[in-house]
Amino acid sequence: MATPVEDLRVDVASIEKQLADLWRAEKHDGEKAVTKAALWNVVAHTWSSEQHAYATDILARASAAVPQRTIVVQADPAGSANIASWISANCHLIGGGRQVCAEEVSIMAAGDHVHHVAPLVSALLLPDMPVAVWWIGDLPRDTHEYAETLLEPADRLIYDSSFFDGVADLDLICRIAEQTTTAPADLNWARIEEWRAATASLFDPPAMRQRLESIRTVRVYSGGGDSFGATSEALLYVAWLQAQTGREPRHEFIPEGNDDGIIAVEIQFNDFAIAVLRGDRERGVVVANSDGSETALDCVTRSLARKPEDLIVRLLKRPEADRVYLKSLRIARRLAS
Amino acid sequence: MQSNPLREGLEQERVPDASCLVIFGASGDLTQRKLIPGLYSLAHEGLLPPGQTIVGFARAEISDEQFRANMRKACDEHARTRPVDDAVWETFAKGLFYVQGEFADGAAYVRLRERLEEFDRSRGTEGRRIYYLAVPPDFFDDIARHLGAEKMVRSPDEGGPYTRVIIEKPFGHDHESARALNQIAVSVFRERQVFRIDHYLGKETVQNLLVLRFANGLFEPFWNRQYIDHIQLTVAESIGVEKRGNYFDNAGIARDIIQNHLLQLVSLVAMEPPVAFEADAVRDEKVKVLRALRPISEAVRGQYVAGSVLGEDAPGYRQEEKVRPDSRTETYAAVKVFLDNWRWADVPFYIRAGKRLPKRVTDISIHFRPAPTPLFSRLGLKMNANVLAIRIQPDEGISLKFDSKLPGPNVRTAPVTMEFRYATSFGAEPPEAYERLLLETMLGDATLFARRDEIETAWAWLDPLLRQWEKDGDPEPYPAGTWGPEAADALIEKDGRKWRRP
Repeated sequence: MATPVEDLRVDVASIEKQLADLWRAEKHDGEKAVTKAALWNVVAHTWSSEQHAYATDILARASAAVPQRTIVVQADPAGSANIASWISANCHLIGGGRQVCAEEVSIMAAGDHVHHVAPLVSALLLPDMPVAVWWIGDLPRDTHEYAETLLEPADRLIYDSSFFDGVADLDLICRIAEQTTTAPADLNWARIEEWRAATASLFDPPAMRQRLESIRTVRVYSGGGDSFGATSEALLYVAWLQAQTGREPRHEFIPEGNDDGIIAVEIQFNDFAIAVLRGDRERGVVVANSDGSETALDCVTRSLARKPEDLIVRLLKRPEADRVYLKSLRIARRLAS
Repeated sequence: MQSNPLREGLEQERVPDASCLVIFGASGDLTQRKLIPGLYSLAHEGLLPPGQTIVGFARAEISDEQFRANMRKACDEHARTRPVDDAVWETFAKGLFYVQGEFADGAAYVRLRERLEEFDRSRGTEGRRIYYLAVPPDFFDDIARHLGAEKMVRSPDEGGPYTRVIIEKPFGHDHESARALNQIAVSVFRERQVFRIDHYLGKETVQNLLVLRFANGLFEPFWNRQYIDHIQLTVAESIGVEKRGNYFDNAGIARDIIQNHLLQLVSLVAMEPPVAFEADAVRDEKVKVLRALRPISEAVRGQYVAGSVLGEDAPGYRQEEKVRPDSRTETYAAVKVFLDNWRWADVPFYIRAGKRLPKRVTDISIHFRPAPTPLFSRLGLKMNANVLAIRIQPDEGISLKFDSKLPGPNVRTAPVTMEFRYATSFGAEPPEAYERLLLETMLGDATLFARRDEIETAWAWLDPLLRQWEKDGDPEPYPAGTWGPEAADALIEKDGRKWRRP
């Protein structure tokens, strides 16, 4: 459980000094031993106060599993020129009465002061720690230079393709992957991890593994409508299957129900036998059957947590770029075009 | 068969093929506290394949259903991931079966073989076998002989599905009995089919020793006699013998801890870089360390008397249940160890293990030589040696101690530490050692298991000390709740050093 130490408005020019003072105060005032920890710099970029509050809340929770220096930026290019900053510490109790605390810096910039954001963020990054930028809201297609400067130190760009409007967003991500050293990381990719694990499990038995060669059609049933963003999980799933099998079976995306995300997958083989994977949200599992019936294979995969903080933690726990995702991303763009 | 390409990049990247894992001694404590809860946790993490089959074998007359109910209770009490997830359990339990039998009864093995063959067809285990001998060594011979007689062991030379056997410590009582046990094992199995569990090797921090040393450019240049003054290894337990009085009184701490856990740690700390992170490459280097052990010339043994541990009265060892009232078994041992090789010549390794010490802790500390010039000593300052401490359990982590100037106009120094803690940095409890070791066995990777020559070399080094102690009088007494007998302090202090308080 995150315990934010009260926000402290600080002078932009002395954020680092104020953070040091905050730690000294924590050390003296706290009843419990305090340990400062950081594995990542996480910069959340937002366009509104609602998004800012959302990012602050999510990253405070995520910092319990992945200690980080959090910098939450709220940019309002249309507002009147202003820049302000706050600092706080997110503390989590671990065993032995000890607290682990991660720092959070909030920066709000408006009007032409927005151009101060990138250099300020750059100065606030902890040295020798990787940098992840979580981009919330519309991707920066119209604010290219601003985004480019902000992304310059980023090792990872986190975003949620369920908010994508169309193939242009995928194009932008592919360009970043191909032309920069920033590795894209999609929350939707983390959402379909349980489906990838369940599918892999289905093909673990040697006899089934041979059948990977004979996949004929893949039907993905997903909820939440038929918009580009709503079918993004299904698109990524099919792209992944193609990337890993080296085959291009026919595919269909079928809208079903209102719950977001993939609901079921049907895989048909050349001999017309069918394997079915179906999410059982009540039991918290994905169940996979071959030939349409319960078999001795017992493919039951535990569903993974889908809260945004859990997804971010899963993406940050991977220290290097996800090569399988990058392969799948390129195929997803092709399939979507 | 190629690996499953869909596994690439998943958290569960390495999932073994389904096998029949037979646990001999399925009604025992180890099965209920560690093995089944560990296997359930693997299933919970998605690391067990569909069709994985676990067969308990023991004397008790119970059905498959009763066995499943007993194992569910064991998981409810001991699984790392609790509460038990009903959906995961349901599938896991479908793979749990029980065969009743005496270890010496040939007919029981026929029943077992028939059931395993049935699972090969119905659950896709295709002849893959793992036999876990969770039984005292007295039964090894019976079990191995019957498995051989019923043709339940396939040689790796034949190709086809594998057969593996997991053996629990103690691997013998001395050099001779260890050799005899190994002889039994290799009369039926090839050495590469034998997986000897030392659960210390399954601990994350023990594995991290290799990463710390060989994945970082910083440490290895200083990891030798030129820069290291001495090394200390401590395995301290706050508990007494609990319900193991019978076993422990015949073993003692040197057999129980030093011969296996502590010597494994010594070999990992002292080994040369292996040519590859592969089972035999790593174990070749470990056994070279054991072969370089100089015969023991300085050692202390102790036995606890009544005292106080963690705020509670603790009885003396001789008052413990199932311990002989005139027992001379050591509950504490400290040994000064030297390795006669190029890297470690004349660097002492002080190793100690004990029961009823002030707290439970396993810790390795590397004490570096002091700075070469007494620059600050001339100012009357006390300089401290740098210490790299590796905490194996609990609160796993690494700390580095060095001197720093105290703020102010005067030159005054104080020791400070830089600390890394697993729980703080990674926010998660590491998996249980048994989970990792069971998975490695299924995957066929023996890197984290002890090889025959390691076991026998370790016994050959320890045997003379054990024989000497048998001739000596009573061990040195130490009150429960202290860090051992005074003679143990004298062992290190006469060299101008002190035990580090872990």
